[in-house]
Amino acid sequence: MVPTHQQVLDVLAHIQDPDLGRDVVSLGMIKELEVSPQGKVSFTFELTTPACPVRDRFKTQAQDLVGDMPGVSAVEVRMTANVRPAFMRPKPSEILPGVKQTIAVASGKGGVGKSTVAVNLAAALRKAGADVGLLDADIYGPSVPAMTGSRTVPEQVDGRLRPIDAHGLKVMSFGHIYPGDQPTIYRGPMVGKAIEAMMTQVDWGRLDYLVIDLPPGTGDASLTLAQAIPLTGVAIVCTPQDVATDIAIKALQMFRKLNVTPLGLIENMSWYICPSCGHRHEIFSHGGAEAAAQRLGVPFLGAVPLEESIREDADKGTPVVISRPESAGARAFIEIASQVAARTSIQSFRQLPVINVR
Amino acid sequence: MVIAWEDGHRSTYSAERLRWACPCAECRGEGGAPGRLARVKNLDAKELRVQDVALVGQYALQVAFESGHSTGLYTFSLLRALCDCAECQARRSRT
Repeated sequence: MVPTHQQVLDVLAHIQDPDLGRDVVSLGMIKELEVSPQGKVSFTFELTTPACPVRDRFKTQAQDLVGDMPGVSAVEVRMTANVRPAFMRPKPSEILPGVKQTIAVASGKGGVGKSTVAVNLAAALRKAGADVGLLDADIYGPSVPAMTGSRTVPEQVDGRLRPIDAHGLKVMSFGHIYPGDQPTIYRGPMVGKAIEAMMTQVDWGRLDYLVIDLPPGTGDASLTLAQAIPLTGVAIVCTPQDVATDIAIKALQMFRKLNVTPLGLIENMSWYICPSCGHRHEIFSHGGAEAAAQRLGVPFLGAVPLEESIREDADKGTPVVISRPESAGARAFIEIASQVAARTSIQSFRQLPVINVR
Repeated sequence: MVIAWEDGHRSTYSAERLRWACPCAECRGEGGAPGRLARVKNLDAKELRVQDVALVGQYALQVAFESGHSTGLYTFSLLRALCDCAECQARRSRT
């Protein structure tokens, strides 16, 4: 009678790691265990460092313990080492490996239409024929599920979440994970972890662009994102009045400090055409973002009018660039998307630092 | 550690130099309290050997030492300021 896998593991569990104070089986050091019908037992003994001081003792102990078991004719122990990652966070190369360009959409303050811009920017890039993902990183106030009509719960395949298909976009939002009126009540460090998980635990596959809708401000989510991946660039959305542009500048300067290229400023709610009188009203003033862009030496990407149809279609779950492509709002978004695409392709020629560790 | 900068400049750093320059809050101190590097005179060998280096976004390098210390994010501007080559030292003494 040859021993079972479990019997071999039970015997090996007598070996204690003196540093970690636990047995080597529960530490997961025994891998690829095989028992042949002839009683030959082979396994890999994976140490946490190749310089393990008790390496030889472990090997002899394992050989002796298993060799003494009834029914065992031979023991083969392969000693390897898998150095545990030194960093608490995944390496940039392990995050979003199939994504070519990552475009963050940010704002200084809330309520300026950042999500509306992000959704329509993604939809416009998709319409132009690109493979596009949309990551809603606004974990406290996720609005992408409603704006894209994707209120389904994502499927899990092989331990990873599959993004939801909405209007040809791959979409993932915290609103899919906590649907309905369930709030996300997270402190700072958890926000960072959540943003990281949205990138590493989601099967984004191959994408030309991943548009990332950030929460407003200069807090944890933006900081984590700028640290976790080498963002291609960031587009800042603001409304025209001083109180909004002043804060948008702060957001822009934060990304500059983190070496993230500003793709430019977008002015939302720039003007309003009254449907009854046909007059153009500049409710929140006009041209503030363009002036700010000029002052800061960054591109001005375009202005989007305040239109009832943009809001209506967003509430119904279809981006206006898809539902009413001829409207002034849709045309503005499409023009902005082509500006963003042009600026990101300039960025794609930049050389990322190469790190060699020997 | 060697950095080849975009402008052609090359900087070489010993692990010891990097460790003592660690910018993290634990080493530098925060809120007016002195950090660990102000209190200790010696660091043991494990603390002074680099295990791994990773890129942080596009603005910094994270250096992991064999002791497991890896909280320091060395921004590129800090690294450039830490360059001890003759040329950089001469420029610094001029200003």
